[in-house]
Amino acid sequence: MTAENNNSLEEKLRSVIETVDIANALIDPLTKSIENLLHISAAQMNSEEASVLIRDGNEGDLRFISAIGKVAHHLINMQIPAGKGIAGFVFSSGQPMVIADVGEEDSFYAEIDKQTGYSTQTLLATPLRHKGEVIGVLEYVNRIGEPPHESFTSAEMDDAAVFAEAIASLVNAYESAKLFHDFTEKMLSADQDFKFAEVRDWLENLRDSSEHKETLDLAVLVREISSRGEEERRMCVRILESILEYADIKAETSYLNF
Amino acid sequence: MTEVSGYESNEFSSMSTYFQIDESWKLRTGKGVGVAIIDSGIDGNHPALHGKVKESVEARRDNKKVIFDLTEIGDSAGHGTACAGIISQIAPDAEFYSIKVLGAGGLGDGQAFLAGLEYAIIKRYRIINLSLGTTRPQLFAPLHDLLDRAYQAGCIVVAAANNLPHPSFPSVFSSSLISVSKNDETDAFKFGFKYGEVIELTAPGVNIRTAWLNNTYKRLTGNSFACPHIVGVIALLLETYPSLTPFQVKSALYSIAEENQRKHKELESEAEKAQE
Repeated sequence: MTAENNNSLEEKLRSVIETVDIANALIDPLTKSIENLLHISAAQMNSEEASVLIRDGNEGDLRFISAIGKVAHHLINMQIPAGKGIAGFVFSSGQPMVIADVGEEDSFYAEIDKQTGYSTQTLLATPLRHKGEVIGVLEYVNRIGEPPHESFTSAEMDDAAVFAEAIASLVNAYESAKLFHDFTEKMLSADQDFKFAEVRDWLENLRDSSEHKETLDLAVLVREISSRGEEERRMCVRILESILEYADIKAETSYLNF
Repeated sequence: MTEVSGYESNEFSSMSTYFQIDESWKLRTGKGVGVAIIDSGIDGNHPALHGKVKESVEARRDNKKVIFDLTEIGDSAGHGTACAGIISQIAPDAEFYSIKVLGAGGLGDGQAFLAGLEYAIIKRYRIINLSLGTTRPQLFAPLHDLLDRAYQAGCIVVAAANNLPHPSFPSVFSSSLISVSKNDETDAFKFGFKYGEVIELTAPGVNIRTAWLNNTYKRLTGNSFACPHIVGVIALLLETYPSLTPFQVKSALYSIAEENQRKHKELESEAEKAQE
């Protein structure tokens, strides 16, 4: 490998790694925020378990990305096949549903209860929408306390719709960040020309380097500002653009000087 | 005897009677009336529905088109079975035609939904139960067009209102279909009509016990379950008066609901008098 090649490889990799790490830094606070909202809303709904499922691929399959309650850790990443169960129906029809008594042997895709050992009795499921499109399902399961659990009410169905709107916007942000993350990961793994041991060492060095850390801090800062509101976002964009302009002018000047 | 009359009566125009219906429709069973259910399918083996599902088709994508094949799959989610179960409680002899558009593998819900509705219109099923809707603006125009076609073909489309605080199509369309939202009533015959509101009819939709998958029954809440209550009532009306048009059915429902509300008020004031 010539020195020139090495340089371009390094540059290419540096940008890829930065992108991956930025994407990771973006995903983590989003999943935490979704979980926080689940906690708040479940308390309001007097519900024992709550979870968020999102579409997985284009075939209508669903996957748990967030959950709270006794079996939350089991649920994460579990899948519900397209059109199966209540969640599948709510996802494909876009309509919420309340089921008073799910029963023992079931139809509501009993596989999930079988695998987690949980016993679902009463259920409220409502769609998560972004720009008119259903992107996932929000579920509340059972009441706090001992069974038999009282059914969720018609009024709670309306409350859940409000929580669903807030959670949907977070899920949408999560999906965008995830897409970005997966894409860059894929790009990295697809590039077979790289010598992997060499690359790994280089990666570790890069991740430790202060320049990379600073870049990450900047990304987190931008995300933080973005979450404050539209005015803050606009202000941030304007300031960053001014810095770029300044940098361009500086570069031009140095070029002229050269 | 209910006099089916014009929607409005004021000092300028008096109520004009279109036609009269007597109470005999309440004793009917919906015999011979075809009801299409566009949903997740129907479990025809459920004891409550055994022998009542006359045909089941499922959406399948063929290149860019959606076509419908006869299917033995039944119901993938339970929702369609629940709707059929409610209709069957009111009109036990109604005939069901299941058009499965939900949970069909790999289909975009919007396209299958439109194709399913078109299929039902081409087949000229007398009543079409639509316990689903969409908020996607790109489906507004094609759905509007299909609903007009249904109206002209004499198909009575009954749609559930959105359960969420957004307008959904086709429930918000006015003239070409009948839209229903849920109320706390339990008696299917005591439905309400709110003239001037986007969703005009209200029917039982809270904690409704109905058929579900694996020969079970469940209690369900949602506008989806108010819609089949009205479908059941229409099946009885159509058995009694087979030639009613969609417009006449809506007028009849309006007049019956008005009478329900009048009777309800009378009972209330009688109860008040008794207390005094």
